[in-house]
Amino acid sequence: MSTDTSPRPGLSSLRASGSRAIREPLFQFLLVAIVLFSLNSILNGGEAEGDGQTITIPEGRVLQIAESYRLMSGRAPSRTELEALIADYADEEIAAREATALGLDADDTIIRRRLQQKLTFLVEDSAATSEPTAEDLAAFFDAYQEDYILPARLAFRQIMVSPDKRGDAASDEAAAIFDELKAGADPTPLGDPSMLPKSMAPSPETGIAMVFGQSFAATLFASEEDGWFGPVRSPIGLHLVEITSREPARMPAFAEIETQVAADWMAENRALARSEFEENLRERYDVTIEWPAVYRDGPAGE
Amino acid sequence: MIRRTCICVSFLALSACGADETASSPTAPIITHPIGTEEIVTSNRPAPEGPLSNPLRNVYFGDLHIHTRNSYDAYLFNVRATPDDAYLYAKGGTIRHPAGFDIKMKSGPLDFLAVTDHAEYLGVLEAIDTPGTEYSKVPYAKDLFSSDTSKVISAFSLFVDSLVSGERREDLSDLSATRSAWQETIESAARHNDPGTFTTFIGYEFTSAPETRNLHRNVIFSGTDVPPLPFSEFESQNPEELWNWLDELREIGTEALAIPHNANAADGTMFEYVKWDGQPIDRAYAEQRLRNEPLVELIQNKGQSETMPLLSPNDEFAGFEVRETYVGSTMPITKFAGSYVRDALKRGLEIETEAGVNPYKIGFVAGSDGHNAASAYAEDNYYANHGVLDGTARQRGSVPPPDYESWEDYYADGRPAGASAGSGGLTAIWAEENTRDALYAGLRRKETYGTSGPRIKVRLFAGYDLDGIDLATDEGVDAAYRQAIPMGGDLTAKPGSTPQIAAIAMQDIDSAPLQRIQIIKGWVDDRGQSHEKVFDMACADDGTVDPLTHRCPDNGAEVDLSTCAISPDKGDAQIAGLWTDPEFDAGQNAFYYARVLENPTCRWSTWDAVRAGIAPNPRRPATIQERAYTSPIWYSPADVD
Repeated sequence: MSTDTSPRPGLSSLRASGSRAIREPLFQFLLVAIVLFSLNSILNGGEAEGDGQTITIPEGRVLQIAESYRLMSGRAPSRTELEALIADYADEEIAAREATALGLDADDTIIRRRLQQKLTFLVEDSAATSEPTAEDLAAFFDAYQEDYILPARLAFRQIMVSPDKRGDAASDEAAAIFDELKAGADPTPLGDPSMLPKSMAPSPETGIAMVFGQSFAATLFASEEDGWFGPVRSPIGLHLVEITSREPARMPAFAEIETQVAADWMAENRALARSEFEENLRERYDVTIEWPAVYRDGPAGE
Repeated sequence: MIRRTCICVSFLALSACGADETASSPTAPIITHPIGTEEIVTSNRPAPEGPLSNPLRNVYFGDLHIHTRNSYDAYLFNVRATPDDAYLYAKGGTIRHPAGFDIKMKSGPLDFLAVTDHAEYLGVLEAIDTPGTEYSKVPYAKDLFSSDTSKVISAFSLFVDSLVSGERREDLSDLSATRSAWQETIESAARHNDPGTFTTFIGYEFTSAPETRNLHRNVIFSGTDVPPLPFSEFESQNPEELWNWLDELREIGTEALAIPHNANAADGTMFEYVKWDGQPIDRAYAEQRLRNEPLVELIQNKGQSETMPLLSPNDEFAGFEVRETYVGSTMPITKFAGSYVRDALKRGLEIETEAGVNPYKIGFVAGSDGHNAASAYAEDNYYANHGVLDGTARQRGSVPPPDYESWEDYYADGRPAGASAGSGGLTAIWAEENTRDALYAGLRRKETYGTSGPRIKVRLFAGYDLDGIDLATDEGVDAAYRQAIPMGGDLTAKPGSTPQIAAIAMQDIDSAPLQRIQIIKGWVDDRGQSHEKVFDMACADDGTVDPLTHRCPDNGAEVDLSTCAISPDKGDAQIAGLWTDPEFDAGQNAFYYARVLENPTCRWSTWDAVRAGIAPNPRRPATIQERAYTSPIWYSPADVD
C-alpha cells in the first residue's frame, strides 16, 4: 500500500502557462506555417533520394532498419528479412510522397499538431541539455520553498485487542495489557495477532488512515502522549499505541530533495525555453484577424 | 507467421525515425552530487526512499481495466479525460466527471493501474471530432456529435456493426490517430510509474465480439518495450491469432499476457471444449492458451463471471450481480455453460482427463471497465461508468423517471426494469514490493485475487501438516510460504497425507465486517465427469460450520434500508481457518478456491434512493454481499508435467 506522496511542486502552474500559449489556435497556425515552410525543403529533398519514379534507399537508412530489428530481436536480420522490412519502408515512402504531393498533409490538424510537437521537442531538448549550477538550484528551491513542504508524519507500533475474539471483556483486557506495557512488559506476545502491521514507518495521516481508518489516524495525530497509550478504536479493534517518532510538517533540507529540485528546475527550464522560443516566433509575425461579423462586436478578451 | 513478425518489426523500424518523441518525455535526469557523511547521519533525514522488499509479500490493490477518451465509445459518452487523468485519479486525485461534477476515490489511492483503451478505433473519435482532419471528413461526423440523440445512435451503430463484424471501416483505415493515441498510452504510463509507490502497466483492450458474443481481452505488457500498434480484432477476431501475436512478441523479448473479461456475455464461447476451428482442444492449444492467458477477470461493472444460479443451483450466493443481456444490447443471454469461470475450471479438469493437459488453469483478477477514466469501486460513492449515459441516479435506474413519483407507479404502468450494472471490482496482487517487475511476476504466478470493490485482504495456502500455522503472524506466513503452496499454485499428492487449506481474511477498513470464508471445490470423478461443492470453512461471530450442510449459522447481520446503516455488532474484522476437505479423494484431480463474504450492505442503487429520499427500485437487489475470490489451487494425484 502506498503511504507517502512526494510533492511535485510548481510544475502544474508552469505547465499551465506554458501550454496555454501553445494551445492558441492562432499561434498553432503560425508555428505550423513556419515549420511547414522550413520542412518543405527537407521533405522534398528527402533522404530516400530520387524523384518521380525512382526511390533510392541510402545505406544509412538500411543500416538503421537493420539495427532496429537487431534491438528488438537480439540478432541481425537475414537478407530476406531485411528485404521485407525495406519493402515495407519503401511502401511507406511512396505513400508519404503521394500523399504529400496531393497536399493531404496540408490541412490535416493531426499532422500539423505533430509537426508543432516535434518543433517543441527540439526546443525543449536543447534546453534539457543545459545543466543547472548549484546556484541555480539553490535559487529555484528558495523561490518554490512552499511547494516542497513535507506533511507531518508519525511512526508507531500497536497492539490490537479484538472485541470479535474477546467480546465484552475486550475493554478490560485492553486495560490490563496497557498496565503490563506501562510496567515495561515485552509487547511481542501481547494482544491478538492480525493482518494489520504491528508497526508503521513514518507515514502521513492519509497513509495511516488507509490502513487503520480515518478516526484512528486523526486520534494519533492529535495525541501528544509519550510511551504507550490507548486504547484507540479502529474498525478492526482496540489498539494500544506507542508513537515512536513524530515529524512535524517541515521544510526539507535542500540535500534531501536535491534530485527532485533538479528535475523541477529542468522542467521549468524546458518550459521557459519553449515560451521564449514561442515569443520570438510571434515577434516575427504580424497577425491580422478577419473577424466574422458574429464575433466582431462581442466584448474583447484579455 | 514470419510475415507477421516482419510487419510488426517493420513498424518499429519506421517509428525509429521518430525516436526523438520518446526521448523528450519528462524523465527526470538524475543529478548526482557527492553527499558528505555528516548529511547521511542527520537524524531526521527520512529513511532512504525506494521500494522496500518484503519477502512475506504485501497485497497491492489496483485496476487493470480503465478506459479514457481514447476509447471510441467513451468519447461518445462525452468522456474527455485522458490517460494522464486516469492515473491522477488512481493516485488519489480529483478529476471531472463528464456530467460536470468532481470525482475522487473514497478509500485512498490505488497501488497500480493499467489504462486499457479499445484498440479498435483507438483515438479515432477525437480525430473525427477535430475540424480539419481527414477523419473529420467522414459523412457521419456531424451525426456522431449531433445534439439529436437518434442521429448519434445511428452513427454510433456504424461502429458497433464494424466491431461485431470484425471489419475495420474502409473510410477509417488511416491508423495515424491510433498510432498517436497508442503513443499517448505508452508515454502516460511512463510518466506515472513510480516504483515503490505506484505502478503503471501499458495495456489495451482487444475487443473481439463475433456476432456480439463477447470475447474481449485486456492485453497487459510487462515493460516499456511494446509494439508500435496493438493487435486488434480487425487483425483477427480469433483469440488464437492474438496468442500467436503474443508468442511472436515474446520471441523478440516483449512479454505480455491477455486477460479475458465478461465471459458472462460470451454466449458459451469463452471457455469451450473445442478450438476456434471446432476441433477438440489438444495439448498445443492448451499450452498456448495458458502461456498467454493465465488469468481471467472475474467481476467488473458489467457483472460477475464466477458462476450463476442455473449453473450452481446449490450455491445460494451465486445470484450476485448476474448479467442478463449481451454487451451493448437488450437481447437476453440464454447460454451460460462455457461463459462462467467455475464451469471453465471444471471443464479444464475434464479436458485434462481426455487430453492430458488443462487449458483452464486460470487465476482470478477483477476490474472496473470504467469508461470515465475512473471508477468508484465503492457502492456509497457511485457515479457509474459510462459518462453522460448514466451519470445521474435517474439515468441509471435508481430513481424513477420524472413523470413518476415512485417505482410502484412506474411499474404499474407496465414499464421495463432496464439494464443494470454493478460498481466494478479490484485486482489484488501479492508481491514483494510495488514495482512493475514484482507485480507482473505476481500476475504470472497467479498469486492474485479479485474483489467486488472493497479492499479485503486474503491469504490462502494449501499444503500438508499446517496445524499451528497462524497466518496473522509473520512467523506463520513465513512457515506457510516454506511448507505450502499459495493461491494460484499446484499441489501434488503426498502419499498417506491429506492436504489442508489455511486461509485468513481481513475486512476493508472503510467497508463492512466479514461474514464467512468459503472454499469452492471442483473435481472430476472416475468417469471424467466434473462436480462442484461449496464449503464454508470459517465463520464470523464464533459460529461453527454445520458438518452436514457445510454452512455457517446465519449471523443475523442486517441493513437499515432507509439509512443504509449496518448492524454494529455482527461479523468479524478478521476471520481465519484451517480446513480439511471432508470428501477428499487422493486419486481425483481437483481445484479449491476461497470466496470471502462481507456482511450485507446497501447496493449503490439503494444508496442513490436513500439520497433521493425514495424507496429503492424493487427490481434491483436492495443489498449485496461484497466479496473476494482467490485464485484456485489445483490438486493433482500425480506430478504435474
